[in-house]
Amino acid sequence: MKVVLVKRVKPLPLGGLVIPGASIVIGVLISTVVLYVISRADPLVTLSCVASALVSPEIVLTFLFLTILGAALLVAFNGSIWNIGAEGQLWLGTAAATYIALFTALPQAPAIAKVAMVLTAMALGGTWAAVAGVLRAYLSIDEVPVTLIMNYIAYYIINYLVRGPWLGKKTWGYIRTDMIPDQVKFTLLPGSTTVTYEVLIIAVLALIAVYFMLKYTSLGLRIRILGSNPDALKAAGVNVRALIITALTLSGAIAGAMGAAQLAGYLHRISYPIESHTANYGYTAILVAWLSMLDIRAVPIAAYIVSALYQAGISMQIAGISSASATYVFIGAVLLTFTVLRVFSEYSLRVIRG
Amino acid sequence: MTLLKTYKKDFSSKNKPPVVSVVGISKKFPGSIALDGVDFTILEGEVHALLGENGAGKTTLVKILYGIYVPDRGEIYVRGRKAQINSPKEAIRQGIVMVSQVPQLIDKLTVAENLILGLEKYGFITRVGKVRYFIREKSREVGIEVDPDTEVWKLSYTQKQLVELLRALLLNAKVLLLDEAITFLPLIEKKKFYKFIRDFANKSGSVILITHKIYEALEVADRITVLRLGRVVGTVPRSKVSPDVVRKMMFAERSSQVTYERLPMSTPRESAALEISDLWVMGDHGDHAVRGVSLTLRAGEVMGIAGIAGNGQKELIQAIVGLRRVEKGRIRLYSEDITNRSVSKVRIRGVGYIPDQPAKYGLSLENSIEENLAMLPSLTNRLINWGSIRDLARKLIKEFNIMTPSPKTPVKFLSGGNIMKVLVSRELLVARRLLVAYNPTRALDEVTAIMVRKIIKEKASTEGIGVLVASEDLDEILQISDRIAVMNSGRVVRVFSSSEAVRDEIEKLMVM
Repeated sequence: MKVVLVKRVKPLPLGGLVIPGASIVIGVLISTVVLYVISRADPLVTLSCVASALVSPEIVLTFLFLTILGAALLVAFNGSIWNIGAEGQLWLGTAAATYIALFTALPQAPAIAKVAMVLTAMALGGTWAAVAGVLRAYLSIDEVPVTLIMNYIAYYIINYLVRGPWLGKKTWGYIRTDMIPDQVKFTLLPGSTTVTYEVLIIAVLALIAVYFMLKYTSLGLRIRILGSNPDALKAAGVNVRALIITALTLSGAIAGAMGAAQLAGYLHRISYPIESHTANYGYTAILVAWLSMLDIRAVPIAAYIVSALYQAGISMQIAGISSASATYVFIGAVLLTFTVLRVFSEYSLRVIRG
Repeated sequence: MTLLKTYKKDFSSKNKPPVVSVVGISKKFPGSIALDGVDFTILEGEVHALLGENGAGKTTLVKILYGIYVPDRGEIYVRGRKAQINSPKEAIRQGIVMVSQVPQLIDKLTVAENLILGLEKYGFITRVGKVRYFIREKSREVGIEVDPDTEVWKLSYTQKQLVELLRALLLNAKVLLLDEAITFLPLIEKKKFYKFIRDFANKSGSVILITHKIYEALEVADRITVLRLGRVVGTVPRSKVSPDVVRKMMFAERSSQVTYERLPMSTPRESAALEISDLWVMGDHGDHAVRGVSLTLRAGEVMGIAGIAGNGQKELIQAIVGLRRVEKGRIRLYSEDITNRSVSKVRIRGVGYIPDQPAKYGLSLENSIEENLAMLPSLTNRLINWGSIRDLARKLIKEFNIMTPSPKTPVKFLSGGNIMKVLVSRELLVARRLLVAYNPTRALDEVTAIMVRKIIKEKASTEGIGVLVASEDLDEILQISDRIAVMNSGRVVRVFSSSEAVRDEIEKLMVM
């Protein structure tokens, strides 16, 4: 007995917005059932939590972070390079920015320090991703496990730093770094307690840059073709290895920028251990990238919906409606539905006797 | 016009009943009309060729019969009863099965598993042993050995196409739709498929044979229907027509452009465009495919490489452009050593390359003509000037008469021949010093093929570029070459100058 997926001669006619739209609706419905089963959450309450999250001002910061990361992932995903490592890349960005803020003299010139924090974060995030790029380009090692494993390596490197050389002096027993100096913290928008001008600028720049790159540069065009026909690219005289490494590096760099924004605009310090303090934006952004159908123009829309689901989960948990991590139920259910719909629109499942 | 009217009459013999009739079928694609009021009948026990130039609508018509496309207007009758064929499943239920030029088999499964899978998908239940037996028997009968327990990736193209045909037989096909399914097979094996088709028809099956090659249609078909620009020009019995008549139906007044005369000799320059000395290159199966080839190609000269597919031509050409490692020997481009240089370094020096698998190594089918131009490093800088790329695309579309709704249409929506035109026109554009090509006119209709050969020859003559053309089509080699190298088992067995080249002698050296 063998079970195989067979490509349909004629794909199911599920073009455009049908698959992302349907997966959000079906995914949320599945979530209400799951949350009812595991923690007796009234489905109507669950749905109303989702509805109110859609208009909640609290989702803005998550929305901006996911937009930046969505843009980052699209650079790689458009070339069929599956960067699962945005989580590690962004945290190394956070670490790089922390280093600039706490251990150099730059904060004496705050404007320069802020720019330096973002640029070093991009450099480190990019380099981290480039490692997976080099392995993929020269040794044909699949980037999925590599980028995934490297997330944990990133966590542990930062954990080591925070417990050891970076441990703060005034931490009241917590294992964490000192607070970054006030002058390098990003500037809050009037009336907001979380959203800063700088993170807004980074999100807009990331969107514009990725849009421009994919549409008007030969690099962007080649990344898009890499996703459909790498052989033709090679025969045309394009250095495919360099292309893979560049795509991953850019992807990691943008994720790194988000890491700097997370530090300077919101966290202001790193706490040990990372794995229990992270919001897992790096993983959540994968859903954003997929729901956008890899179209950069749809990234803000996808980021908006995902950030609402994210927020709905958190408010349910805070309100004690659900004990489980409702956020991941939502995200997981939508992503799973999306994947299933995508696969079965193009493939059908067959069993062979034999 | 008179010609057209004469052919409108259907010469069908009345003693055979029609199996499938198509009445007034029209199909529009965004920006273009693929079929416009097509009437077409296939009789029981006949082989019916569907001919037409590139983009005439042949593939669209069979895809409608196979339920992949749904027509905008018109009806399909199967054995006199109106049929709604909305999916391949329904087509198969009606006994209509398509085999295309690209095998649809799953590589990691065995031949038998593939066939069983194909059967169960459409609700046929059968014993594994029976399928194995069937494959063995039939492959022996056809004369192309296929082991039912081999994995598909190990098979040659010919074997895969045979498996596709066997699958159709197992699906109980009454009407076989062959969309260029045998056009690209090696000549010797093609004959075996012709016999297979004939036998199938003699057992009162029907075959629709799509091809852009007139001689193929004349060799096996009972009747020939010619399509032009989505309309039926006429249906004629083979016995009543000559190649010239069919050609006129296909191309109308442009048919006078078809000639197989040797193109005028170009004037080679003193400098060598390409010097290959004692070249050894590995093949895919771990042995040497190119065994000590030495050739010198002058600037301004067209050299043809004649040979049966699989005698090292493909590997030689891939080694020149840098896609395959050279084990031993040297390649020089205008005296500069380019042995084992990367493809990018070779191509940027003005080398055009028309590969043997255009859809794999030539173009990206998901992308548009514009994007397929812009992907070449020699045509764009870091920033793409889409305005100038568009102008370039329009120019090529006009010059090569590429049938496409727009320069922005993904190439996969074009017909096979028009896809090839995109590739050839692009590579001619970037070949500033050297053009290496493998079957450059594969999939092109006669008029376009001859046009391409003339352009290549003229480019060599006037711009002084070196041209190396390997082709399985000896007519092509004879027409285009100033000199002809014959390859056999990885070696160049002899080089003829065009004046002393004799067809028989070349053929003998090819099969020796």
